Amino acid sequence: MLPLILAVGIFLVWPIVEAVRLSFVRYNPLRPDEQPFAGLDNYLFVLDDPLFWESFYQAVVWTGWSTVLQAVLGVGLALLLQQPLRGMNAFRGMLLFPYIVPTVVIALNWRWLFNSEIGIVNHLLLSAGIIHDKIAWLSTPNMAMASAILLNVWKYTPFVIIVVLARLQTIPTELYDAAKVDGAGAFRRFRDITLPQLAEVLAVVIVFRTIWTFNKFEEIYLLTRGGPGTSTYNLALYAFDQSIANLRMGVGAAAGVIMLILLLIGAVFYIRVSGFGREEKAA
Amino acid sequence: MKTWVAAILYAVLSAITLVVCFPLLWAISTSLKPKSEIFAWPPTLIPQQITFEAYRELLFGGSVASAPGAGVPPSAYFLDWFMNSVIVALGSTVISITVATLAAYSLTRFRFWGQRSVPYIAILGYMVPSVIFVFPMFLTMVSLDLTDTLFSLILGYVCITLPFCLWLMWAFFRGVPIEIEEAALVDGASRLRVFWQIVLPMALPGIIAASIFSLIVSWNDYLFGRVFMNSMHKLPLTVGVMHFFDGTHVDWGLMMASSVLMTLPMAILFGFMQRHLVAGFGAGAVKG
Repeated sequence: MLPLILAVGIFLVWPIVEAVRLSFVRYNPLRPDEQPFAGLDNYLFVLDDPLFWESFYQAVVWTGWSTVLQAVLGVGLALLLQQPLRGMNAFRGMLLFPYIVPTVVIALNWRWLFNSEIGIVNHLLLSAGIIHDKIAWLSTPNMAMASAILLNVWKYTPFVIIVVLARLQTIPTELYDAAKVDGAGAFRRFRDITLPQLAEVLAVVIVFRTIWTFNKFEEIYLLTRGGPGTSTYNLALYAFDQSIANLRMGVGAAAGVIMLILLLIGAVFYIRVSGFGREEKAA
Repeated sequence: MKTWVAAILYAVLSAITLVVCFPLLWAISTSLKPKSEIFAWPPTLIPQQITFEAYRELLFGGSVASAPGAGVPPSAYFLDWFMNSVIVALGSTVISITVATLAAYSLTRFRFWGQRSVPYIAILGYMVPSVIFVFPMFLTMVSLDLTDTLFSLILGYVCITLPFCLWLMWAFFRGVPIEIEEAALVDGASRLRVFWQIVLPMALPGIIAASIFSLIVSWNDYLFGRVFMNSMHKLPLTVGVMHFFDGTHVDWGLMMASSVLMTLPMAILFGFMQRHLVAGFGAGAVKG
């Protein structure tokens, strides 16, 4: 069974090594066999590009809002779904459902819902009297970003729910019974038992969601293509466009490696908060 | 629980569920409307007149194989795209699960160099976004002459799904007590037999969770299909349906019908396997 480690090498390690190598060469699509060493040229190009920094800033905005909203909504909904009610499984199923819907489908649906001319969202808001004019959701910069964040929250809050639910089920009920005997109200029980028990798992989920959201490509690309203008670009879109539209594979790879470095920093955080591998050292 | 508390909870839950499910309900509603009603303002929540025209066009609009050439509407490719997606999703899942299960088993049962670092690499691989390695992989596929083949897509998806599957299976095998296997080995059973008859059945919940995950990821992916594939009839569903946007006007009915058909297989899978998914995430994705 040792050869399987080879497979791990091929599918896990090698693509990343290849990405790093590519970031140091000048790649010409017309002469793919010639790949002269370019030193740090690609990196200097990226770091000198204002669009890169704009994308970086927008990635931070998009990640921050998405993660916070997901964490708050996720915990709230998980607590609701934990209540012992009949038919709860049906509710669970429906609320976890967005997680499995293909991103393409969500992007298509969002474009349809937020259509500025005949979209249902504008209609509902107009008839409820919340707005007085149709809003061009996807073609004004701020609104496009807000719509993209909403899409992300809609799709990935179920992930938080799943993980928090799984953790909630392992909290011993005796803790709550004892607290009730001591006269602790619902809020006290949440603050003193549920929250501390969830703290570790929540930290892990937040690190994960931050890393993933920061690097997301499809959600934004399919919804707005980074537009209007470059107002919803993030680093993944930047890397993609450099590689595909500008055919600068090396530059795209350099942007990818910079993302990778940010990711490694995130991973160190993750290992810290999750205590991953701690018991191996003890053993 | 008091009745009024339960009533409030039900009301709150129903309201939230309605909001969450609204985009899909709206998609279904749109897909059943005739064209004139789709573009009406104000939009109608429930179709006044139900038609299956969009579904008919996608499913029975003729296959490309029988009507090749220019001027073929994208909807004629729908069935091809659907089959491509089925093939690559199943293919990558089978490879991913086989490798992950065997590798995870050997990681927890044998001692060798690198044993400790592999789970770390797997968790890192799980976090790496595919946009980083899709182009290096594409260039390799070019040099191997594999571009525009479903096989290249399968390999691409294995790269995305394997880290997570490996990690999840590793977590599962660590939870399976080794004593039963040792007893069987002492009784003279071969390692292979122990694996088939004792280890695999115990690891089944993990395998199911990992398979669902892998199927969802490879069914839903857009990026690899977009970069690796060229020919219209070889695209996966996710890349294909975006071609509906290329025309001068967008047929929203057709778009929404394809969204519904794309989501359906995953919805059915999810409906049957929901419990396992939650259990798998509890055991594997996050350590308690």
